[in-house]
Amino acid sequence: MAQQRATRLRTWSAFGDLGRRPSEYEVLTHGMNHTMGATPLELPPDAHGNRWLREHRDGMALTVPDWDAFRDPDRVTYGSYVAMQDDRETYVEGLLERFDKEQHDERLTAGRLDLLALAVTPARYLVHGQQMLSAYLQQLAPGSYIATCAAFQTADQLRRVQLLAYRTTQLSRAHPDRAFGIAERTTWEHHPDWQPFRQAVEEALVAYDWDLALVAFQLVLKPVADAVLLHGLARRLDTVGAPLDSLITDDLVLDAQRAARWTRALLTFLTDADPGNRAVLQGHLDTWAAHGTAMAAAGARLLGTSDIEATALSTWDELLAAGGLTRPGTPSA
Amino acid sequence: MLLTQDDWYETSRDLDWTFSYVDRAAAFPTEWTGAEGIPEDAWEAWEEPFRVSYRDYVRVQREKESGVKAVSNALQRAGSYDQLPASHVAASQMHMGLITMVEYMAVTMQSRFCRFAPSPKWRNLGVFGLLDETRHTQLSLRFSHALLKHDTRFDWAQKAYHTNQWAVVAAKNLFDDIMLNADCVEACLASNLTLEHGFSNIQFVALASDAMAAGDVNWSNLLSSIQTDEARHAQQGFPTLEVVMAHDPGRAQRIVDVAFWRASRIFQTLTGPAMDYYTPLDKRKMSYKEFMLEWIVDQHERVLEDYGLKRPWYWDDFLYSLDNGQHAMQLGLWFYRPTLFWNTSAGVSRDERAWLNDKYPQWEENWGVLWDEVIRNINAGHIDRTLPETLPALCSVTQLPLGTAMSRDRLAPVSLVRDGRVHHFDSEISKWCFEQEPERYAGHRTVVDRFIGGEIQPMDLPGALAWMGLTPDVMGDDTDGYRWAREYATESKATESKA
Ligand SMILES: [Fe+2]
Ligand SMILES: [Fe+2]
Repeated sequence: MAQQRATRLRTWSAFGDLGRRPSEYEVLTHGMNHTMGATPLELPPDAHGNRWLREHRDGMALTVPDWDAFRDPDRVTYGSYVAMQDDRETYVEGLLERFDKEQHDERLTAGRLDLLALAVTPARYLVHGQQMLSAYLQQLAPGSYIATCAAFQTADQLRRVQLLAYRTTQLSRAHPDRAFGIAERTTWEHHPDWQPFRQAVEEALVAYDWDLALVAFQLVLKPVADAVLLHGLARRLDTVGAPLDSLITDDLVLDAQRAARWTRALLTFLTDADPGNRAVLQGHLDTWAAHGTAMAAAGARLLGTSDIEATALSTWDELLAAGGLTRPGTPSA
Repeated sequence: MLLTQDDWYETSRDLDWTFSYVDRAAAFPTEWTGAEGIPEDAWEAWEEPFRVSYRDYVRVQREKESGVKAVSNALQRAGSYDQLPASHVAASQMHMGLITMVEYMAVTMQSRFCRFAPSPKWRNLGVFGLLDETRHTQLSLRFSHALLKHDTRFDWAQKAYHTNQWAVVAAKNLFDDIMLNADCVEACLASNLTLEHGFSNIQFVALASDAMAAGDVNWSNLLSSIQTDEARHAQQGFPTLEVVMAHDPGRAQRIVDVAFWRASRIFQTLTGPAMDYYTPLDKRKMSYKEFMLEWIVDQHERVLEDYGLKRPWYWDDFLYSLDNGQHAMQLGLWFYRPTLFWNTSAGVSRDERAWLNDKYPQWEENWGVLWDEVIRNINAGHIDRTLPETLPALCSVTQLPLGTAMSRDRLAPVSLVRDGRVHHFDSEISKWCFEQEPERYAGHRTVVDRFIGGEIQPMDLPGALAWMGLTPDVMGDDTDGYRWAREYATESKATESKA
């Protein structure tokens, strides 16, 4: 009996000798990618899914001895995610009610409405792109810890799309003479200052190698777009006197900050895992950084305030520095 | 003014734009979208079968989460686990080992929809599926982890799919294919429509009800809570089927017919024995066949009819299999018990046998005689003769042993030769599946192919067990320690002394 008890496990055998009790987050996230063997899927080696994973995931130049050693600094689980986001949404609901009583939308002046129509409502296409790109990082992620971060990030993007749709509809009802809900697609497709964003999304959508996708999206497109169209936008809206959208954007910044935290942790993780990884990431960054600088400049023009460009670039640089990476053309860290 | 969901919903799904920097076809390759041969504007007809906002989703799911957690904490404190019947516990270990990773695979499948589905409405809906399946993965892991202190076998909730255990390999082959290899259209028709809408009821309704009857409130509660999500996201299959039926009905028919047979064999292997042999007799509500007929077959026929699909050509053989396949598999599972990571309940005591004969009038004739031999060996002290020495030949499509799909009088070999290699099948239906897309199956090597190819060393049963990751602490044995066979011994002695 005593012997039997001694063989009982306290936690997943997959943890090996962890030297401590795993957290609930770890218990619920650890080692769930079963496709990391020589033939990823239990199918003929040349099946489409196997070829895709071999070419775009297993063929990448990043070297990581144990992908399951990565941890999300926020340790988000399904339970903590829905609880946290329910609180956020309750807060935003409160904002919508409060400002509705104050006739917020009806009282917006022409200049403010112009800014909302130019820099806020067309973003739902961009964010849909970010949703697709987050999902791609999830499905090819070489470990379930990273995949889970990307899964919740995918959901965060849908949250933002739906809030944008909500605000777009409110504005179209309060101002039927304007083209809210109608003109966004044209703005997204043709306004010159949206084109660097659209170009980055479209090109990132065909960057299928996972390491390249990670750099293009998670290290360039998303951090720069978030720096401009969330952080920068929230301040700009506040300055011009569009408090409701400023406060909603502030709340979306919290999602972006959570994404930046795991991205920074991942960068540190990758560069610690193997000294060669930094050069791999830097190589991809060198080909992609121009998209980021173009987005920062165009974003500042969309918001009509030039200082946002410099702020966005320095936020971005700071993120890259976590992996010892530098934007081409800037002094190396 | 404040809005209702209907007010803003349309805008939230108006998300397609005209690409100009890259070729749109390169960003949405048909190998992943599955939209080959379907005009792009056809997807405008794809309508969400349910509408949910992110706001409502997180609110409702948060409540569900705290509900399940409260029940589970209370039950763990009550320590009710130790009183559960051993055969029922075995069923829960089998389920957790074989299904938990499938929930995680479904996360990735839904994520594929979020990225590659040919309609932005579907790409959005996929997000809720992705969250749901993350929930199911984590619920199953939490449940199993809490039971590790009672039984190491629950380690297999996390571990199973990292091993080559043969039942896992069979399940992995199916789910890797229809969840991780298939394009969005096929994954949706095979997984959402056929598997989730069709079969998941048997796992999450039938087993939930059996679990409740057996006193396992915790597991029952978990299964039922998962089912509330499944019932929702499984509906993604309907609009997809509608679009494909309008443009390529032959493809829809083939995908659904192949998936229905492959899924039915997997459930027959796992849930069939659990319902007909593992659930304690006085707790059984329905036989596997009864449940299949009432919940799966009826429903599947209704879907086929509603969408203009034909019944699969193999329908009569499928119904015939419902009388037999799970009994063949049960005998196989029990005999090959050291190759399992759960204990097996024989489930053929006299009372149970009466129940089986009542539910399956051919049971005695087909299977009773084989169990009699097992019983004679047990009672003569020859347990060794009830254990395997080799591996059985496997089907190139289902990965299951030959002879386990139909009855004992239908054992004529089914095979074909392709590129100089002989492929064996458990039925004409599996052979037909193979012939639909030989390249999908032909290059895969079954566990036995690998054994014969020398990949498994030493080339004997212990070698195979080690290769399958089976350690003595989890290796299956009879749940009742063979005590169930004793009643046959006393009776046969009584008969002998009279003679
Ligand atoms: Fe599920
Ligand atoms: Fe599901």
